[in-house]
Amino acid sequence: CKNLDEQPFSFVSPETFSSSAAQVEASYAASLNHLWDYWSGYGYGYNPFRHDDQFVGGNLNIGADNGDGLWNVHYASIQSINGAIAAIKAGRVKGEDQETIDRLLAQGMFLRAHNYFMLVRMFGGVPLITDESPDPISNPMPRSSVSDVYSLIVSDLTFAASKLPLSWPDAPGKPTQGAAKGILAKVYLTMATFPLNETSNYQKAEQMAREVMESGKYWLVTDVVDVFKPENEYGPEMMWGYNSTSDDKTTDPQIWAPSVYGDGGWGDAAIDTTFEKSWPAQARKDAYLMTEWNGTHYSDFPEQTPFCKKFFFYISLDDFNGYASTANWPIIRYADVLLIYAEAANMANGGPTQQAVDAVNQVIDRANGYVENPLHPKMTTSMSQTEFDEAVIQERSWELVFENGDRWFDICRKRILDEVTTRPDYLANFSEDDYLFPIPEVDLELNELLEQNPGYSE
Amino acid sequence: SNSYSQVTKFSLELENKTIREIISEIEEQSEFIFFYQKQQIDLDRKVSVHVKNEKIESILDKLFAGTNNIYFINNRQIVIGVSKEEKVRVPSVSVIEDAVQQKKEISGKVTDRNGLPLPGVTIIVKGSTQGTITNAEGKYTLSDVAEGDVLQFSFMGMETQEVNVSGKTNINLVMYESTIGIEEVIAIGYGTQKKSDITGSVSSVKGDELTQMPMQRVDQALQGRASGVLVLNTAGAPGAQTTIRVRGMNSINGGNNALVVIDGLQGGNLNSINPNDIESLEILKDASATAIYGSMGANGVILVTTKRGKKGKPTINYSYSYGSQSIRSKLDIMGAADYARTRNAFRATQNGSGTPVPIFTEQQIQELERTGGTDWQDEIYRIAPIQNHQLSMGGGTENMRYMVSGGYLDQQGILLNSEYERFTLRANFSADITEKVSFELNWGGSKEFGSSPPYGGGTALSFLGQAVNIAPRWDPTTPPYDANGNYNSHPVGYGAYDTWNPLAATVEPDIQNHTIRNNVNTYIEYEIIDGLKLKISGGAAISNVNDKSYYNSKTWEGKPVGGVVGYGTLTEQVNSHYQNSNILSYDKTFNSTHKLTAIAVAEQQYDKYQGSGLVASKFTVDQTGINDLGGADEISSKYSSVSERVINSYLGRVNYAYADKYMLTASYRADGSSVFGKNNKWGYFPSASLAWRVSKEPFVQNLNLFTNLKFRGSWGITGNQAISPYETIARMESGSDYPYNGGSSTNLGFRIASAANPNLKWESTTQLNVGLDASIFKGRLSTTVDIYKKKTEDLLLNRTLPRYTGLRSVIDNVGSVENKGVELSITGDPFVGAFRWNTGFNISWNRNKVLDLGENETLRFRTTYGGYSLKNGFMQLRVGEPFGQMYGYGTEGTWKESEATQAAKFGQLPGDIKYTDTNADGKINTEDIKIIGNSMPNFIFGWTNSLSYKNFDMTILIQGSKGNDIFNQGRIRLERGSEGTSARLLDRWTPENQNTDVPAFIDEKTRMDAALVSTINLGSGDSERLQRWVEDGSYVRLKNIVLAYNIPAGLTQKIGLGSAKLYISATNLITLTDYSGYDPEVSAYNRNDAQIGVDLSNYPTAKTFTFGIDVSF
Repeated sequence: CKNLDEQPFSFVSPETFSSSAAQVEASYAASLNHLWDYWSGYGYGYNPFRHDDQFVGGNLNIGADNGDGLWNVHYASIQSINGAIAAIKAGRVKGEDQETIDRLLAQGMFLRAHNYFMLVRMFGGVPLITDESPDPISNPMPRSSVSDVYSLIVSDLTFAASKLPLSWPDAPGKPTQGAAKGILAKVYLTMATFPLNETSNYQKAEQMAREVMESGKYWLVTDVVDVFKPENEYGPEMMWGYNSTSDDKTTDPQIWAPSVYGDGGWGDAAIDTTFEKSWPAQARKDAYLMTEWNGTHYSDFPEQTPFCKKFFFYISLDDFNGYASTANWPIIRYADVLLIYAEAANMANGGPTQQAVDAVNQVIDRANGYVENPLHPKMTTSMSQTEFDEAVIQERSWELVFENGDRWFDICRKRILDEVTTRPDYLANFSEDDYLFPIPEVDLELNELLEQNPGYSE
Repeated sequence: SNSYSQVTKFSLELENKTIREIISEIEEQSEFIFFYQKQQIDLDRKVSVHVKNEKIESILDKLFAGTNNIYFINNRQIVIGVSKEEKVRVPSVSVIEDAVQQKKEISGKVTDRNGLPLPGVTIIVKGSTQGTITNAEGKYTLSDVAEGDVLQFSFMGMETQEVNVSGKTNINLVMYESTIGIEEVIAIGYGTQKKSDITGSVSSVKGDELTQMPMQRVDQALQGRASGVLVLNTAGAPGAQTTIRVRGMNSINGGNNALVVIDGLQGGNLNSINPNDIESLEILKDASATAIYGSMGANGVILVTTKRGKKGKPTINYSYSYGSQSIRSKLDIMGAADYARTRNAFRATQNGSGTPVPIFTEQQIQELERTGGTDWQDEIYRIAPIQNHQLSMGGGTENMRYMVSGGYLDQQGILLNSEYERFTLRANFSADITEKVSFELNWGGSKEFGSSPPYGGGTALSFLGQAVNIAPRWDPTTPPYDANGNYNSHPVGYGAYDTWNPLAATVEPDIQNHTIRNNVNTYIEYEIIDGLKLKISGGAAISNVNDKSYYNSKTWEGKPVGGVVGYGTLTEQVNSHYQNSNILSYDKTFNSTHKLTAIAVAEQQYDKYQGSGLVASKFTVDQTGINDLGGADEISSKYSSVSERVINSYLGRVNYAYADKYMLTASYRADGSSVFGKNNKWGYFPSASLAWRVSKEPFVQNLNLFTNLKFRGSWGITGNQAISPYETIARMESGSDYPYNGGSSTNLGFRIASAANPNLKWESTTQLNVGLDASIFKGRLSTTVDIYKKKTEDLLLNRTLPRYTGLRSVIDNVGSVENKGVELSITGDPFVGAFRWNTGFNISWNRNKVLDLGENETLRFRTTYGGYSLKNGFMQLRVGEPFGQMYGYGTEGTWKESEATQAAKFGQLPGDIKYTDTNADGKINTEDIKIIGNSMPNFIFGWTNSLSYKNFDMTILIQGSKGNDIFNQGRIRLERGSEGTSARLLDRWTPENQNTDVPAFIDEKTRMDAALVSTINLGSGDSERLQRWVEDGSYVRLKNIVLAYNIPAGLTQKIGLGSAKLYISATNLITLTDYSGYDPEVSAYNRNDAQIGVDLSNYPTAKTFTFGIDVSF
């Protein structure tokens, strides 16, 4: 009789994986594949954020499944990262020098911090699973507090910022020290606002953003129409994001496009007309928004709405018609850092400093094509702290339109959901509970230690 | 065949007895009856007989050695005659000469209803031992018959007839086939048993029943024929698989396919078998029958026995059929002009910021009215031919028998560019090497070629290029080709513009699926001592799959991108199954009342799978495509995989019968399988059953009513181990690639794909069955009733994990499911004789209930693929509820104008869909989700009829299902206001037509002016889980009707044929159903059985007319 013990031929067990630098990086690649793949993760991930004021069809009926897809992919990503970090810490990676080991660890911590930063802003305190946690399958975990999650994020990013190189000459898509600092600045800024409101973090955000600005590694792309062009995918403005190539395509760009574009977009993610109308005419508006195409104004598009060009307009028409996007998905870019700096400096110093004004005006100046625009003038130090703060938030809304839920997160951390729109149906459904997405039902059902966010049924 | 004589064994110790005494001793010990003419046999001759467990032939050979007596055995009747040639011991048909003439002599000829002579018919004078048999020409002469005597004509497999001889000297008789009797021997797994001795629940279908109807595949042949067997044609495509379920569904992930055993080789594939090669099909249903297959038996077992050669001169059969298939029904789609008006009407609703311009001018609509536009269903469907050739030869000598057959099937599909072609060849050979040693070798091979454009949910790369789905949805105002002869694209701006030209999607893909199967099994059997035999068998089933596809530049998948074109796949698979069974059997009757059969088996099975494949694109040369992989710029995915599975088994079974009245069967099997966790490698599967043949009891025999009456009861445990190898081991899997380094390179990604579970073990199904077999009127009316209850425990379930673990689920033994049901079949022969009608009706009720799902109260199944706004959980399993539950939002038509106030509470206007507010909270949200349908039928039934009169035969099969719902997913897009083509849109709500479930086209301005706040929040991606799309899938179908004409024997013999039959048949001729999709027999894309009943635009069913001819030499 043949032996009944099994010896697999086509795979290995996780316990023996991550035993070389290449295998660790293969785990990191998988962690990002979860987040950014054809039709999964952020490939179709705009939907949970459509309750803001930029998306057409935005409303405050936040469904019980809102954001569950992103919850799933973030935790799958974290699982891959934790496995690799544990292997590195256990000394499984042999034959590499300490610098390489540190950089491998720093990459893992960077990626883990990114995942938790997304989760904590969407869901609040979440189960905090790290490389040191016991197996979560047999050890159910409660939600950690928001501040515990931020502690891990800050410590991971601080480690990453200290060990990551300034650049990877042969690997422009990997996380760098600048990206770690840029995201850390955003983390501090968020911690300074809702829900933690730990205002001491404004200064840390200002400091971190300044370090990025002073690194000399990043600057704004001169012409605003070039920001999302493929040749600028890895700098000088883009600092880190999800990568795409012609071999690793992501979601259908049709989602973002009107039906009149190319062989036909699907118009799923369209721009709210009120938002478009409030946006002053400027070079940036033309670069980021498709308000007309081939001489036809959007009011004569079948969808009758404008669209955001960022994720379909700059890829080749072939790729567009081939239902495959080769566009990267920016997570942190230099314009964002400038705006973080401006906001943080204003709040940390009791009003707009000259450096804060200069930072935001870099963005405004480029947006206006370096001409004076009475519809959208530059900012000054004479503005009050509040005026300046509100203007920076508004500036973020335009500059970072449709980028990775940024507007939604700004709305949440500033608690302005009921102020950004006047639509009656929108306001009728508003409640303070809307600032958090529901914890996915499946997880709630299977782990009674988890508690649902207020306003959602258990 | 002389089945009784083949299974009955004698041990005689008779010293110096007369032939008369020996004959009466044999009659005493057995059911044999001797017929002879006194003057032809020396009854007082004394002989001694010493035999141990020998067949009747060898006893008779000894008994009449050295005399000129010959004998002929017809089942239980032994006729002794005298050889004309004075040749001794020739146990075959011969002429019996009458030496003496007294009274009168009767002679004549016996033929079958085709006029062919019947040799070997037994003719006896009723009430005497006087008789004879017919010779090779079917002729007989019987002397010494008194006026007023009655002659009884009997022949195995024919109705016995009685004729009064009064006034006659010549009696010619036509004999008719009888129904299958209870003495029939049927396969039970690792052996055979007389039907009357069976204690379990077994359905049997004989090969000649199957071949009465033209059919391509064995699985189709089972539909409607056996109770408790549900056959679902999941797609109408040529060569498509069917789903067979025996007594409901036990398992969610373990698979519910019945085990197929072909000539003893387990794990067979019904597709590899030519239906014409089948001697019999047995379906083992209750645990007493299936437990002998232990861990593979839980879903029932289908035993296929192929034909063997029979002793005698070669018989050659040839049959040919030609058929024509056409689409059974089309979807009801608007004509081009109606479509244009509907699109205009919808466009007019988009008046949020201005007055929209109509898409079609009135002039264009008039033109469309005139031309009719394009019927896309007509464009992609055709009338398709099907032809089938069969040739078989069989025969044998005293010690060797052979059967060789070949078949060729070529079926074009009704969808353009679809085809199935199959060559089959089979050679069965058996030999008696010595008196003690026999040998058999069976080889069956097939070569299949299949091709079809993608259809259904699972096969398409994208629903954009899925012709069956998109054709009815496409713009009927656009012709297939433009002025230059190129395929038209869908016009932009209205309709289903995100789709590809359906004709291009149908005819342009080049898809080729090749499968070669080789099945061989052989055994050698040695009779160690009287009744004790050892059979050593070995077999292998090896299939090679070689698939390729190429989507050229005219397809969605392969359209030009950056100057390069095409998309193609290559797949290679080798599946090997090896099996060795060593069977020790003991078969003995003691004191002619205790009948004992016992087996002990040691068996091992080994399976190996090897597969590899790749996906390539960006070809420079479209013409060569996937045939020149070097010309592909991109290999976008590649994989290879190897896996093994080992099963070691030990099993035993005892059958004991006392006086043919009380029967007992007990079996036990131990299976060790490699695929289970290291803590649970072995499973144990016992069974026991009892039967009582009440009809053998005097108090029932005195009633003179029952030919057979038997009560049966059984209990047993079976398993299901149909999980993949290595599921118990945590795995790190390649394939999650991502350009981690940025730039243009791709970096390989490895992810954690599953968690370990060393405790994983068998699903076990405990089944109780009670049954009754009864027949009355000399077997002309029979019924079988079975009641069963099955409980499956340790259900293999993908136990959902909280997603924060990073994994979706882990496979585990949690939960349990119950199936219970009643099966009833009735067969009867209302008419016998010249006009003959044999009819059989079977009906099965099965009820299924989930008893436990471990930690889960609910298991959700994603049902659909992109573009339908159906996300998670449409199909759900919940504790206390059956399989197939559909969950969604209730809909109750549309709001009427008189209900405007109530509608407004939900922010709705008259004409909007009226959703069911299940919890009456004034909101429609996920809390209102309820059960909106169930895909499991209340009952299924089949009704077979076979009629004959003179040279005509007719066979009718009616079959159906009652009470199952189908979620008609195709309608979601077909009836979507913004793009739909369905004729139902013409019935949409208007103030004049308020009694409809098709919502109104309400314009944006009206809605804005109404300033209502909607309280309807169906959840993103779940807005189409609507009761609207659930339809009753009940149907009654005239599945098959055949009219055959048997050419009279006189005519066939003139042209040198033995017999010839011509027939015409129709398949799916009439279907009564309310279902509006292509066919109610759908299911499709069943990643597991909890999802059956969603119509994902499957290949439509064909209606087929066939002409055929069968000849034999």
